[in-house]
Amino acid sequence: MADYTLRVRRFDPEQTSGPYWQEFAVELEPHRSVLDAILTAKEELDGSLGIRCSCRAAICGSCGVRVNGRPALACNTHLRDATDAGPAADGSTATVTVEPMGNMPVLKDLIVDMDAVHWKKIHRVTPWLLNRRPVPEREYVVPHEDMVDVTQTMACIQCGACVSDCLSMEVDPEFVGPAAAAKAYRFVGDPRDAEQRQRLRDLAEDPHGIYDCTHCFMCIDACPKGVAPMSQIMRLRRISGSDHQIVDRNNGERHEEAFTTLVRDYGLLHEAELLPRSYGGNSWFGKFHPAAGLELVDSLPSIARAVARRKVKPTQALRGHRLARRDLDAVHAIFERVEGDARRHELNLYLSGVEEEAPAP
Amino acid sequence: MRVAYWPGCVSRGFTPELHGSMEAVAPLLGLELVPLDRAACCGAGVIAEHNQELADTLNARTFALAQQVDGAELMMNICSTCQGAQSECQERLDANSAYRARVNATLDDAEPGLRYEKGLTNKNLLWLLVEELGLDALRAKVRRPLTNLRVGPFYGCYIVRPRARLGIDAEHPRDRYLHQVIETLGGTVIDYAGTYKCCGFPIVTMNKTASLRQAGTHLGDATDAEADCLVVPCPLCHLNLDLQQPQAAKVVGRPLAMPVLHLPQLLGLALGLEPKQLGMSKHVVKPTAVIDWSAAVVAAPAPA
Amino acid sequence: MPAHDVLIIGAGLAGQRAALAAAQAGASVAIVSKVHPVRSHSVAAAGGINAALNPGDSWESHAFDTVKGSDYLGDQDAIEIMCRAAPDEILWLEHAGVTFHRDEAGRLGTRAFGGASAARTYYVADITGQAILHVLYEQLMKHHERVDRFEEWFTTELVQDDGGRCCGAIARDVRSGHLDAFRAKAVVLASGGAGQVFRPTTNALICTGDGMAQAYRIGAPLMDMEMIQYHPTTLAENGFLITEGARGEGAQLFNARGERFMERYAPNKLELASRDVVCRAEQTEIDEGRGFPDGTIALDITKVPRKRTLEALREIVNIGRDFAGVDITREPIHIKPGMHYIMGGVRAGTDGRTPVPGLYAVGEVACVSVHGGNRLGANSLLDTLIFGRRAGEHAAHHAVGLPMPRIEAARLRDAQAEIDALVARVPAPGSRRISHLKRELGETMNRYVAVYRDAAGLATAHEVVRRLKEEAPRAAIDDRGAVFNQDVLAAFELGYMLDVAEAIVLAAQERRESRGAQFRVDYPRRDDAGWLHHITVSRNGQEVPRTGTEPVAITRWQPQERTY
Repeated sequence: MADYTLRVRRFDPEQTSGPYWQEFAVELEPHRSVLDAILTAKEELDGSLGIRCSCRAAICGSCGVRVNGRPALACNTHLRDATDAGPAADGSTATVTVEPMGNMPVLKDLIVDMDAVHWKKIHRVTPWLLNRRPVPEREYVVPHEDMVDVTQTMACIQCGACVSDCLSMEVDPEFVGPAAAAKAYRFVGDPRDAEQRQRLRDLAEDPHGIYDCTHCFMCIDACPKGVAPMSQIMRLRRISGSDHQIVDRNNGERHEEAFTTLVRDYGLLHEAELLPRSYGGNSWFGKFHPAAGLELVDSLPSIARAVARRKVKPTQALRGHRLARRDLDAVHAIFERVEGDARRHELNLYLSGVEEEAPAP
Repeated sequence: MRVAYWPGCVSRGFTPELHGSMEAVAPLLGLELVPLDRAACCGAGVIAEHNQELADTLNARTFALAQQVDGAELMMNICSTCQGAQSECQERLDANSAYRARVNATLDDAEPGLRYEKGLTNKNLLWLLVEELGLDALRAKVRRPLTNLRVGPFYGCYIVRPRARLGIDAEHPRDRYLHQVIETLGGTVIDYAGTYKCCGFPIVTMNKTASLRQAGTHLGDATDAEADCLVVPCPLCHLNLDLQQPQAAKVVGRPLAMPVLHLPQLLGLALGLEPKQLGMSKHVVKPTAVIDWSAAVVAAPAPA
Repeated sequence: MPAHDVLIIGAGLAGQRAALAAAQAGASVAIVSKVHPVRSHSVAAAGGINAALNPGDSWESHAFDTVKGSDYLGDQDAIEIMCRAAPDEILWLEHAGVTFHRDEAGRLGTRAFGGASAARTYYVADITGQAILHVLYEQLMKHHERVDRFEEWFTTELVQDDGGRCCGAIARDVRSGHLDAFRAKAVVLASGGAGQVFRPTTNALICTGDGMAQAYRIGAPLMDMEMIQYHPTTLAENGFLITEGARGEGAQLFNARGERFMERYAPNKLELASRDVVCRAEQTEIDEGRGFPDGTIALDITKVPRKRTLEALREIVNIGRDFAGVDITREPIHIKPGMHYIMGGVRAGTDGRTPVPGLYAVGEVACVSVHGGNRLGANSLLDTLIFGRRAGEHAAHHAVGLPMPRIEAARLRDAQAEIDALVARVPAPGSRRISHLKRELGETMNRYVAVYRDAAGLATAHEVVRRLKEEAPRAAIDDRGAVFNQDVLAAFELGYMLDVAEAIVLAAQERRESRGAQFRVDYPRRDDAGWLHHITVSRNGQEVPRTGTEPVAITRWQPQERTY
């Protein structure tokens, strides 16, 4: 047994006092869960402490909270891990801090309004199968791997942990968000769905759609089920741009194309070309496109400052840096061989797992 | 210590002061940098978004070139984004021998004889400082402790998440290293909301307002916490936090004048170099204009 | 007061399937659930769902396995209906989007399961329940214009009209504390099981027998309540479930001497004998000193190829790591029998109808009885879906011609007054906390009403339950608020659990033989002459419950000796 101080951020909507912190002393084995600690406090000390919970085994998705500043399921976070779990902890004390999830309004104590944010966004992505026709008399015959693949996103338990700390949503509450995007992949990756292109176009063209993800990996770390929402968003982008050639109005596809082309042509990133091409189109002429012109005017102060500070020489900004001929040739050869493949080759670690050790040579 | 040194693209492009300050500070740290100037861009996650195998192969080439550097103990980078993007590729390459063989076949085709062997060590300067050099050794090298300098650490997403891939655990609290280094150099760590958040750079072309709101919010939070400056191990963060700072100030509707230092610059100052030698005049928010480095903040050089 | 043709209480697989079927049949539907539908305990069903869909298989074989598994207590007419309908239901689910496992040819693939003579379990890794539940919820979202969802509404009681017909329910909006009466021409109870009556249990905290008690209180008989299924593989410490899919994939059981002891108890089916048989084998090994010192048995999943485990038993890998600190791909994990399922419930016919007019019951809250004395693994999901659909359709068709019933406002006021009194309850000196009463109940039931039972133990359990029933109305309440007052819900739930516990104990005392999950040490033989019938428990307005009997429907399979 060990002593823990459970520090809970509480809120009673029927009082005017606002949120406050309360500490509970609980005695539990270190391998017990944060949920066990919360329930001990609730059962022994204060029955009014509000938390949603049900299965205790990380499958129902009810008990999403922040533990020491990080989103998690209370039920599968061990107390011993919670006390040294991260940035907010100082590693020495046995205090476990529990708060309601972020990015969603708090209803009471550790209970947040999932409907107002999480479920609303799930609804946004047409979250049901739009069957490919004709519907077969028996089952759809589809590849084994595809079903395992979409099961990764099917494994989402809708706990909201990824939504809680999504950094794009923090600055753009309208962002579709990691959970809904993963839900979208569940259909885009499902060969039985008939509307993949429409789904992708919808999410690519939406200014708050797949290209609004800031690639911060928060959701990957937050997810207790290995859904890796951000990885699914990247796959949605890849399928949207490369397989369906959807050129969105958010510059998402152009940015990706321009970046890749510049690295092919220069071997290194040519920042001065990237910006205009992302707005105007993927060629040297892109910068003369009206959209690029507007953006250039908008960015002019930044660029002018960079030049004024001798950060960037005008000639260098124009020419960029590039690899030596022989290395560029190697880069080209790699591009040709990989991009020349009829179908993209992807190693999905969710499917393949990690090898125990290299087989004997 | 001899390292295969990967400077990345941006440190030689829009933030030349990063590469410059790294080269200036390396000898003081006892680092011999062997630049991987034949290697290509890591892809910054964008090439992987476009085609995973392409990003994996380009980085496998970089790794292979690093493994060819005679006497190098490991590969070192100075960019959170490179660290994250390359770690992601390496994770796949190391996980599966068949996939590695496939990528190596492409490498061999592009450049006969080139081959990546599983198990490269690739560390950001920050990790190298703590894990290879050691904080005690670093402390011993400090010539001018950053006494009274209030520094806000800003890690950048790619170097702190996902934790498992980046090897962050109780034994390797890599998400505390920037804090530790600031303290080792004699500075004061400022606790503010933005430390582990995103600078917004990845969506600057897609949703500029959201992007700049992120940068502006963190800069504002650091200002409110009375930081003198931020320090970043990532040049892309630097672009959004420094180069775009005036634009970000407009988006968040408050004046901002927060100097943002590259990690080697902060090291260089403490190790006795002058701001100018470290390219600090090249910043948009000039640290030299905001902080009086000569007297008020930085103590006099310690007696040798 | 909301008014609908069909009111469904509970939004797990049975409730959601009933809602979709009723809406499809043209009814206006409300579905009320005390938790968000995807939190329902169906989500935890891991292993799969049975159906004789393969060309080489037959529904008769599936039905016979089920009858034999039930120890001949299952009603064969209902079992036939379920097994015949199973293949179409699997295809319906597949078309709705369930990501069922495929074989290399891209067709639906199966795994082996306990008590089955063929591999006929369809599955999604080891999250089958979750996958189906979430897909049904996708369908509910799709049909949002036809199904009104009342999520996080706690039903406190069922309402009858003067003629005794069930005409709705009273429910409390957990978010606001607002109480409302839901009027309906037909009410479908789908509120799940009662595992929390036992401690430990594999069941979620929400499984508190609400619907069983609510129906019982308005006169519906409970049936087969003595049939409590213990699952052979639950984690020693906390009772968490390790899916039978693990043994289906090839995992083996060992005692502390390293003996694969199932060779002695079920020489043919070994680990894949039916659950009651495996549990008794394990318990015997433990009781006779051949278990591990912590009173457990070893489940060795390393017999399954690692790659297969990582793909098909991913959730168990997580549970082993997170809750037992064991990498199941590398070492055995320690397990023991643990309370898992209740075969009994509100007596219901093959269309879900209960003896109370207007009231239907489906899923674990109901007893159709397709599981009889022992449920086969992967038959419970099937039960929820088949009878959920049938009840939804039946209720919708019958609602068409009926007028919308009324519920008097006074009824709602009385219910509100009861809750107000509960919230205002001043703790009497010495009154215990709800959680303490619940713990004593659970530990008592798990001690005396478990794998092995006898008259003395059952009498003790009965005493404890009666004492707790007296004490419960005085239990202390902390929360005086309206928003998410979980104390109020816990007080209601405790009352439900005590009613259900009493019915379980009474039925177990009544059945003086050993059949299925009921093993009486004092009556160790099955006695078809004396006991081949269901036992019912009903209250019907009386304070003292009475037991009764119902015949078992036997269509084509006469009782035989049961060996595996």
